[in-house]
Amino acid sequence: MAYIRKRNRNIFLVFMMPAVLVLFGTTIYPMIYAGYLSFRSYDLAKLFVPRVFVGWANYQEIIASSEFLHTLTVTFKLMAMTLSVQLVLGVGIALLVTQRLPGMGIARTLLLIPMMISPVIVGLVWLFLYFPELGYLNYFLSFLGLGPYAWITSTDWALWAIAIADIWQWTPFIMMGTAAALTNLSPEPFEAAKLDGNSAWDVFWRVTLPQIRPVLISLMFLRAIDAFKIYDIIFVLTKGGPGDTTEVLSMYIYRQSFTFWRMGVGAAASFVSLIIIVVLITLFFKSLNREAHQA
Amino acid sequence: MKHFKAVALASTVSLALAGTAWSGEFDGIELKMLAIGDTSVTRLAPIVGEFEELTGAKVQIDQFPYPGLIDKIVIEASANTPSYQLMWVDSPWVGVLGESGALQDLTEWVKRDAAEIHLDDIIPIQLQENTWQGKLLAFPASGMIWHVNYRKDLFENADEQAAFKAKYGYDLAPAKTWDQFIDIAEFFTRKAGETLAGKTLEKDFYGNAQAYSRVAGAITHDFFPIMRSFGGQYWDSETGLCAIDREPGLKAAEVMKKLVPFNPPDYLGLMWDIRTGYMERGEVAQSGYWSVRTVRLTNPNEAVLPTIGEAGYQPSPTGDGGPMETMTGALSFGINSKASDREKEAAWAFIKWGTSRDMMRRFAEEGNGVSMFHKSILSDPDLQAKYPYYKVLLETQETAQRRIFHPFYADVEEIFGVELNKYMAGETESAQEALTNGCTKINTRLKVFNQDMRLRWIADPKAEIFN
Repeated sequence: MAYIRKRNRNIFLVFMMPAVLVLFGTTIYPMIYAGYLSFRSYDLAKLFVPRVFVGWANYQEIIASSEFLHTLTVTFKLMAMTLSVQLVLGVGIALLVTQRLPGMGIARTLLLIPMMISPVIVGLVWLFLYFPELGYLNYFLSFLGLGPYAWITSTDWALWAIAIADIWQWTPFIMMGTAAALTNLSPEPFEAAKLDGNSAWDVFWRVTLPQIRPVLISLMFLRAIDAFKIYDIIFVLTKGGPGDTTEVLSMYIYRQSFTFWRMGVGAAASFVSLIIIVVLITLFFKSLNREAHQA
Repeated sequence: MKHFKAVALASTVSLALAGTAWSGEFDGIELKMLAIGDTSVTRLAPIVGEFEELTGAKVQIDQFPYPGLIDKIVIEASANTPSYQLMWVDSPWVGVLGESGALQDLTEWVKRDAAEIHLDDIIPIQLQENTWQGKLLAFPASGMIWHVNYRKDLFENADEQAAFKAKYGYDLAPAKTWDQFIDIAEFFTRKAGETLAGKTLEKDFYGNAQAYSRVAGAITHDFFPIMRSFGGQYWDSETGLCAIDREPGLKAAEVMKKLVPFNPPDYLGLMWDIRTGYMERGEVAQSGYWSVRTVRLTNPNEAVLPTIGEAGYQPSPTGDGGPMETMTGALSFGINSKASDREKEAAWAFIKWGTSRDMMRRFAEEGNGVSMFHKSILSDPDLQAKYPYYKVLLETQETAQRRIFHPFYADVEEIFGVELNKYMAGETESAQEALTNGCTKINTRLKVFNQDMRLRWIADPKAEIFN
């Protein structure tokens, strides 16, 4: 019996090994190495710059930097802009496509397409739309005697231009999750609410929303993490400009690491970013636990 | 007849080179070049097969956009096993590549082959552009100056001349000062429906297009030449620290700010190619830029302007209207220092072939001019008639100034790119604040190094090839 248990454990370890090796090679080792780099002065381009241990200097530089604080502010601003609109639109569309109306199945499938496109391609599609001289948006507006507008090169519009592209791509994600939650709701509370003479809005606000709230929180949380990491669309559309209007945290990390080649500072900024995400996750689970206790 | 001349010249080049010791000398060698997709390379790339026929060495040129190219070169330079033996080098990069030991010193080869490469015929500043601490690290493939292109047809229009004189009180002519440049930009900025040279405009017309984008520091590529035209320097000669925030820098930033209303509405996103595109389509009255793209203004296959008007060429304006030392630059070919000796020899043979005077003349004859760097080509009356900007290129380079070549150039370009772009966007209140922010950030990085090293980095000893 002990032999069989030992043999099973060995087989288990053998089968686990490839996954562990891949995980170690692609995630754990790079993370350990990034941690090591974050305490060093390491300039990849300037081979003459001494590569030495600098203690917490990289972290101190980041935290004291107004540039870093600015990128953090822009990141949260963009997160608020995209998440709020995605939530309202996503829930609204989900309510629509879960109605028993003709064509809703096809509509639901078509609405998922943006989510399946690579963010770089999404960025390029919107670049063609926004491009000031040759873009479709200004072209069509010109028929109304409007424009041309500098959508992605104006400090007033650039962040919204990115937000719109992100909203277009990720609203279907909220819609899909919400629609799944809506179709699984029990019909009895709705029937009871209708019999009590509640309006459609009251039914939604007092019956539907409380029931799908945990799902919405999960969806918003996942989107918040994604919004925190947003990079591709910004890189294609504005590269952080004009000025530093659209420079988010991931752009800051990219610039430190691959424009200035200060790998130590870039690694330290990545860890600060990781800490912020961990704090967000902790807050999220605490909020979920509170929900569970209240229920 | 033109075709016959080109073929004859190509045959002469091939025969001349075939007569050297190269024939089959590099059989089995494969060279890869990390390069830009610009005229200094695009003219050469389709004919590299001729080099293989001559020498046996196979050459593959991988072309990338300018933004990000230095990143690839830096990664290549830091690798122990090179994938690329040849590298396209923008002259400001020689500092970082030179101090890192990434490029092969070409000094002895150039001295050895001086007669073969017609060293005396090359404009000296183009060679100096490629030196680091007196060592020649790359060889010019295209010689540039920063100058002004303008709509000659509009400047010579009698109605426009009269209107300009009435408004500004002096004759309409290519600007000699930045104040005149701003006046001209203002004068020619018109809305759709207004008249320009007797014709009703179907779309807005702009007085100027400059690079204002922060991407890859594009704005600095116009800001620095303007700063230099006010007599500015990048570095303090006593400390080796940033001096860009001094008066000439402030004046240059203010000139660019004053030009904003006369630029296209997407001015904050104007990269080099987008800005030159406005000129090539004939949609702006004037634009200052690097001559490497000026070549396109003479070719109807590459620009609309030759079909609807005519381009004029002028040295950069100055602060006081006096003659200035034009800002120059070189787009060059270098050799990876980690390549094998045999690969280096083959790479040098390729550079000599691809940048030779005969090859450059062949490009010019075929109508595919690059921005030239041989005195005999630039002064050729037939070619000057064909490419009128050759005269400006030749004359201005006699007293040209070298571009920035500091090992921290990429930092300067990126930091000032963002700071200047913020100022132009109205995010930063004053030019002083923008430039001081930039200098503070650069100095923080430079102060890690001792003063002797900082001063060595800004020293520009004469290229040893001239000794």
